[in-house]
Amino acid sequence: MVLDPVSQEQPPSKPAVLLLAKRKSLSGAANILIAGAGRLFRSQTQHSLLTSKRQDFHSELLRLHQNWRLKKVGKAIIGDLSFKSAGSRFWHNGAFEVTKTADSEQQPGDGYKSPLEITVPSDLEGRSYIHVCIKSDSENAPQNGSFSGVGNKLPDDLHWQQKLEIAQNVLFCKELFAQLAREAVQLKAPIPHLVIGNQIISQVFPGIQLCVTLCHENTIDKKHTDTGNGVPQTSAVLEHSLHQLLRALHQNNLNPSTPHPVTAPIGVSKKRRLAGAQATGKKELAEFNQSECLLEKILKQVRHMVLQNRVCKLIDNLTCSMPDPCILAHWSVSNQNLQSSVKLQIMSNSYEQIGRTPLQLVIGVDQVKGVCKDGRVVTLSYEEHEIKNFLLTQIAQHQVNGIQAIAKVMGWQVLQSSSHLGVGPMEKIGHAAGIMLISPSGDRILAVRNGPDSHTKVSVQFPRNQQSITESKSDVIIDGKWDNLWGYFKEVNVDKMKGRNLLNKIELLMAALTH
Amino acid sequence: MGVTCVCQWPVPENKSEQQVVDMITKRAELLGATKIGAFCVDCETYQSSLAIAPQKTIHVMHNTEQPLTCYTILENPGSSSNCLVADTMFDQIMHKLKGFYMPRKAAKIESKGQHYELDDFVIKIGTVSVGPNTKGILFEVEYTPCVVIMDCWSLLSEFMQSFMGTHTPTLPLYLAGKQDANYTPTDTVMQYLDHFNTFMGRKTPLPPPQR
Repeated sequence: MVLDPVSQEQPPSKPAVLLLAKRKSLSGAANILIAGAGRLFRSQTQHSLLTSKRQDFHSELLRLHQNWRLKKVGKAIIGDLSFKSAGSRFWHNGAFEVTKTADSEQQPGDGYKSPLEITVPSDLEGRSYIHVCIKSDSENAPQNGSFSGVGNKLPDDLHWQQKLEIAQNVLFCKELFAQLAREAVQLKAPIPHLVIGNQIISQVFPGIQLCVTLCHENTIDKKHTDTGNGVPQTSAVLEHSLHQLLRALHQNNLNPSTPHPVTAPIGVSKKRRLAGAQATGKKELAEFNQSECLLEKILKQVRHMVLQNRVCKLIDNLTCSMPDPCILAHWSVSNQNLQSSVKLQIMSNSYEQIGRTPLQLVIGVDQVKGVCKDGRVVTLSYEEHEIKNFLLTQIAQHQVNGIQAIAKVMGWQVLQSSSHLGVGPMEKIGHAAGIMLISPSGDRILAVRNGPDSHTKVSVQFPRNQQSITESKSDVIIDGKWDNLWGYFKEVNVDKMKGRNLLNKIELLMAALTH
Repeated sequence: MGVTCVCQWPVPENKSEQQVVDMITKRAELLGATKIGAFCVDCETYQSSLAIAPQKTIHVMHNTEQPLTCYTILENPGSSSNCLVADTMFDQIMHKLKGFYMPRKAAKIESKGQHYELDDFVIKIGTVSVGPNTKGILFEVEYTPCVVIMDCWSLLSEFMQSFMGTHTPTLPLYLAGKQDANYTPTDTVMQYLDHFNTFMGRKTPLPPPQR
């Protein structure tokens, strides 16, 4: 018996059934996977919602810690926004508290809400700035405390950095004002400095005052809104100077001069170190110890500003009111905060080459120094009429010097000239200058007097024999030689003369008289 | 610091130093001087130890007019004396040098008194004392505007004449050698030292230092 495999017939293939079976199994597997993924997604979103706030809080806290000093006191986190680490010795501790914002359902319409909440001390809330203005007695004094009106209550959603910076600024302004007020009370001035509430009023010059106000706007002050019409503009330059001065004070507190040698006590200045070896007397030592306080420094700066404005306005007024000699003013570009200078050129139009009077005014804190063409230095006080007096005298001198220069060109000789005439009527302001010239042929004398008040007087003198014949000849004088003597002076009406300016008129007159 | 002349005021036999000082004070006030305060010029002497030969003496002096300064004069027998002007901390250095320079037993001499000012002149009347004993009176006149001795010696002596009458001193030996040079606070202190040496009866009159 042999067993042979018998090849059986293949069953008929049914592809449709196979496909169906595969599809069923695939869909079963897919359903499991989808269910699993759905569960994972749901759990992840829930988890992220739960932990998102906590994670953000810590990262925000880290960022806050990078910018501000924080420390943990018990359970609370306290920060420091004072300037103590920069050298300030103000009593305010400038502590702020950091808390987590309360969990609340976020509405879709809400903006970004920070997970951190900063609580600044109540007296540092709101905005603050120092209002500095210079006013003269003629203006009305603004009311006390009526400065707010700009800015509303701080918006709640301000970022914590801005909130802290604004609060720090409030603290800085407080310290600055406290320092100024303390100095104002301690300083002994001829007219004492007034400290009223949040204002300090100091006398700068007679009739001019400096007013420093601490303006603190928070929700309480909103009642006292002022339209701002009566309130003068704050001087940004002075406010900046005050800030800088206080910062310099802080820095000096922190950085005393290095001791020489290194083992010597800290804080001894170089002057004090050398005082012993140089046998400094008691008076000089007392001078070393005196140092200027903040208020004195800012008053000096204000005085200089006022004086500079005064001189500027004076020169402008003179330039507008006097077209004849042209006054050019070149203000120095690089000025210091306590000194500035202006170079003036007085010249007549079209006679620039012949006669130009340079003048320099150096404006200090209390005085103005004038340097004339010939090198003389004149010290003037802060009074306006003194400076005007000086300038008008220089202008009169310029005119006469110009005439002298023209005379040289025209061939006329100068008989005499004076920069400060002592004859004739006295000028109300300034000094008059005068000059007398004789023509080349010697038969005409020209006399010119120029003064700020009396303006210009020009007279011509002829010899007696050339004067009008209407003058009767005396019977006593028979000899003809007496006719060659000088006759009377005749005044020339300068206003009716033709000519662009005085020098031009005199030149034409000289040309007419020369023959 | 103007030109200063320090001179001794002779005390008559029958009067005490205090009485003479009162008399001078009254004279000054009659002339119109105003009292400014008190002053003191003191001197401590140190002797070099036997290890250092030849023997040297160091005088450490202070003047209240220059409160932060300490003057140290080294006396070298046979040569001119040197004066060092230093900060007051120099005293502590002397303290450290105890081994080499010992303070003399008859320690501190000082001239203490009142300080008056009369326009350009400064008058100081000092009582010299060594411990509890009073030795004499030193009278100091300063003419503040001038620093050259030659220029104002006549003015100074005329002023002193109004005070002292016949006892007006002549130009001190120390100043005679420095007629043209500028006057310094060191010179005042050297004059005081001269007088202190005289009071203590020391044998070495210091020759004026050469400049």
